[in-house]
Amino acid sequence: MKIIEKIKTNKSIDNQTEIQKICLDKLQSTPLPNLKSEQWRLSNKSKLSDFLDYSVNEKDPKFDTPFPKTSQSTIRLVIGENCQINLIKENFAIKQLSEDQLVKYIKEQISCFDQNENWSDLLNLSLNCAKNTLGLKISGSEIPPIEIFSHASSNTLNAKTLVICLEKDCDIDLLQVNLGKDNSSLSQSTFFFLEENSSLNHGVVSYGENKSNLLNSLNVIQQKNSEYNLGSLHYKFSYARFEIRIKQSEGNAKTNIKGMQISKKDEQISTYTKIDFNGPNGFLDQINKSLADDKSHAIFEGSIIVPKIAQKTNASQLSRNLLLSNLTQIDTKPQLEIIADDVKCKHGATISQLNEEELFYMRTRGITLTEASKLQLSSYFQEIISFIPVSKDRWDLLDILLNEN
Amino acid sequence: MQSKMKESDPILEVENLYASTDNLPILKGVSLTVYPGEIHAIMGRNGCGKSTLSKIIAGHPSYNITNGDIKFLGENINSLEPEERAQSGIFLGFQYPIEIPGVSNLEFLRVSTNARRKFLNKEELDTFDFEELVKEKLEIVKMDHAFLSRSVNQGFSGGEKKRNEILQMALLEPKIAILDETDSGLDIDALRIVASGIKKISNAQTGIILITHYQRLLDEIEPHYVHVMSDGQIIKTGESDLALELEKKGYEWTDNFIKEN
Repeated sequence: MKIIEKIKTNKSIDNQTEIQKICLDKLQSTPLPNLKSEQWRLSNKSKLSDFLDYSVNEKDPKFDTPFPKTSQSTIRLVIGENCQINLIKENFAIKQLSEDQLVKYIKEQISCFDQNENWSDLLNLSLNCAKNTLGLKISGSEIPPIEIFSHASSNTLNAKTLVICLEKDCDIDLLQVNLGKDNSSLSQSTFFFLEENSSLNHGVVSYGENKSNLLNSLNVIQQKNSEYNLGSLHYKFSYARFEIRIKQSEGNAKTNIKGMQISKKDEQISTYTKIDFNGPNGFLDQINKSLADDKSHAIFEGSIIVPKIAQKTNASQLSRNLLLSNLTQIDTKPQLEIIADDVKCKHGATISQLNEEELFYMRTRGITLTEASKLQLSSYFQEIISFIPVSKDRWDLLDILLNEN
Repeated sequence: MQSKMKESDPILEVENLYASTDNLPILKGVSLTVYPGEIHAIMGRNGCGKSTLSKIIAGHPSYNITNGDIKFLGENINSLEPEERAQSGIFLGFQYPIEIPGVSNLEFLRVSTNARRKFLNKEELDTFDFEELVKEKLEIVKMDHAFLSRSVNQGFSGGEKKRNEILQMALLEPKIAILDETDSGLDIDALRIVASGIKKISNAQTGIILITHYQRLLDEIEPHYVHVMSDGQIIKTGESDLALELEKKGYEWTDNFIKEN
């Protein structure tokens, strides 16, 4: 109830939006997620409580990103910073969704919410005001890469919402960066709607600082013949929870997901995915890698739902986990729920340590154990990092950040 | 030839070496001395301890030396880490070279070469200088430049992996190279390329230990000494004709030798 009171008494939310009111109403009945439910039972209660402990902030924190802007053509948007865009070119258009369109779209989404499963979204939308919501409608081809930043400021709880509709035949590369600050919480909810024949190469890079927390929820609806590719990386958060919900609404769509989470110290980083095939001939190739060190806790829970209508679905989900310490905890549960009888679905999980024979091979070439371990770890990352649509310069930056680990 | 070699100090001395893994004794008193310019061949049945001996000399952490010494250039190296042994000039060519997905072969070779160069007080090479050096060494094993951009050994055929091992040997310029069944899985042409590469790299200052099952590699590279191993011991040492005799008579002949002794 504390969070409800906090939202209600937040002076900056004097004029609650329609969306805020709807979500707040829903939250009244479930102020906190059911911590005994499958989706939340492994969540660290004290860390979740820390997440909610900060006061709600709607002011624009100072934006200070280490991501260099390397290309003139890249479009960079920062949610909350008077983010306005209306770009109409010969081959493409990026238009801001009007408030009515945005409200209509989000209301449609809310109507499908499961109170417990979408608790992060309900929290996000009840906290968020119009200023921290970015809605875009994108059409055309040869669109320059887009970068969208969400960031928190110290000692506050920040909520950012992103809604993007990709029109028919549209094809884009989009990098989303979520930045945590010292002692902060960031709630990020993202909604994508991919129309027929559209394609989205989506990168999510989330990294925090000391005692920063993140609730990152991603909701994707794919129409037929659309392709959604996601490469993600989450690290340096005291508590981070990445929820991915993808619905292939008519089947005949393609989804590729390559995710990576790195946890150290006493951090808890988790990824929950739900892929819903709602039509035939759907395709999924998913790999989630975690690297867990010290006393950290890495969680992966994935579910693939293949109802009777989703015949000829071809889906694969693999969870690979690397344990670097004997105090680390890893929980992984890839799951299939299959009703259709003509499908090809597989899932698997591995938990291992650094490969001793690879290390010995490198050492017999004069490479020290530390260097060999670094090389091995960077090769473990590479499959995922190379899937994130970022330019070479950003690659170098990611390398530096990862080498700090 | 033999006496000339022995005018200098030995490169490698294995003295009454006993070793085990998981409390299982594998080596039971192996002694072997290699002088500069010498080529030694070690033959023996599967499981007799040949590969274990090579791994122990290279410093594999899974094996414990329970007795005896390994001396390299006069210094006891029993407690040295594998990378320290490699940097100082011990090279192990693997029977099954390890694949390292995601690590570029070129970068791996450059890091390895620079580690050795650093030990030799030579200037470390940047990417461009290294490319020049590696281009020259690729010729030795007739390898295509395209192999450098792949991950280490990933997607390489058996022969390509072995050639990559010899390329590494050429770049690291070791004092002693222990080549563990480098001939296995090679067709006749690949065997000749690998053998010719080994001959080009070896010289009067280096030592080579060839671990093999077959005479065919020794037809290409004639050893000065042939040792036969059985049950963790060297049971017979001879010159190159010992390998021919072994080829003719088979390992049962060595069983008889053990009984006789």
